[in-house]
Amino acid sequence: MAGLVGVLSFHSMPAKLTLGTATSPTSNGASGAGSTSTTTSAAPATTSTTAGPQSRSKGSSPTTTATSGPPATTTPPVTTTTVLPSTTTTTSSVAQTITGPSVNYYFGLLAVKVTVVAKKITSVGIASLSDGGNYRSQQIDQASIPILEQEAMQAQNANIQSVSGASYTSAGFQLSLQDALKKVGLK
Amino acid sequence: MGTVITFDVYNESGVAPEAFLPYLQEAVAVLHHADKVFSTWKANSPLSQLRRGEISLGEAPPEVAEVLELCMVAKASSNGWFDPWALPGGVDPTGYVKGWAAQCALAELVNARVTGAIINAAGDIASFGDLGSEAPFRVGITDPAAPPTLACAIELRGAVATSGAYERGEHLVDPFTGEARTRAASASVTGPDLGICDAWATALAVGGGEVLELIEKTDNYEALMIGVDGSRQWTSSFPFAQLETPH
Repeated sequence: MAGLVGVLSFHSMPAKLTLGTATSPTSNGASGAGSTSTTTSAAPATTSTTAGPQSRSKGSSPTTTATSGPPATTTPPVTTTTVLPSTTTTTSSVAQTITGPSVNYYFGLLAVKVTVVAKKITSVGIASLSDGGNYRSQQIDQASIPILEQEAMQAQNANIQSVSGASYTSAGFQLSLQDALKKVGLK
Repeated sequence: MGTVITFDVYNESGVAPEAFLPYLQEAVAVLHHADKVFSTWKANSPLSQLRRGEISLGEAPPEVAEVLELCMVAKASSNGWFDPWALPGGVDPTGYVKGWAAQCALAELVNARVTGAIINAAGDIASFGDLGSEAPFRVGITDPAAPPTLACAIELRGAVATSGAYERGEHLVDPFTGEARTRAASASVTGPDLGICDAWATALAVGGGEVLELIEKTDNYEALMIGVDGSRQWTSSFPFAQLETPH
């Protein structure tokens, strides 16, 4: 199956939106607060970019024996519930939806679905994965991608931006993603 | 098999999402190109051909030699605990490529002039910048005994890679015995370059305490090792952060 699937979350600091400033779902170019979400199912291009390794020196730092034991941080239990955080704490909690341009990649079409909510991810949008050239656009609620939602909620509950480790397994995410796409008829 | 890549972009500077897209496209192109060249799942990738002896290193794209050279450095630094040549089937730099490719992709986003960006490639993370107002990124590290709950949080400036026995589809091989074994349930390494972090994390997961001591002596790289019994060891400057809940 295809190699890479990507999800973009674009977190913007809220602009000075006044309540009631809502744009139509197909407008482009709105500025300010936002989260952008998209998935890519894309193919190789010919960009050649290299990033050399950082120079790394072995200094003469003291050979401190690593200590074992619990770290000196408190670890309150991390909730994995799927309750969405309240959005009533900000004044600019207006949701805007913008559909961006489509870009042709080798394996399929990508389109960007921008969901704009002040500071927090409340939905992951997947738009326009083409099936034989049919352009369709649909937003998929984050709730239908359990693993991604779980990750996002956990991240937001623990005030972290990302997670390193294997909880975000490729297989799990792929299955969730495909399931979500099937539900809305995009796969 | 599919590799999941997430991009989190932080934009205190007010860049419009549409203005950001071309940079995202470039970053995605870098990742796909790396996949095309290095995927051992693709029978005709240059690396697969190289492994079968169908092409020479000189006939492969130059990035193959570049990555293998980086792997040589990592192998030497880790006293051989990271050794892509010790794997069955021929040289397999996959453990380095994932981080290397993500780091290259991240470089495409720098010119977008956003406040900060995080690329997470299946748990390996490269970043630049921060949340804005100098607030560093905070990244959770999965508890290997109870995923997806978190073992701890770190302040991230740069990259972090986590390797472990619980990863799907990865066989960590002891390069000295050829056996599939790990000495840590989870091994996380932080530092400026994700490819190097990747190599160290792999070495640490397999080699355990001896590798932790090597990392302790290595400037700019720090590590945390979580044992199968839940015990934790870390280098002296491992960037722990408070694991907190927002109010």
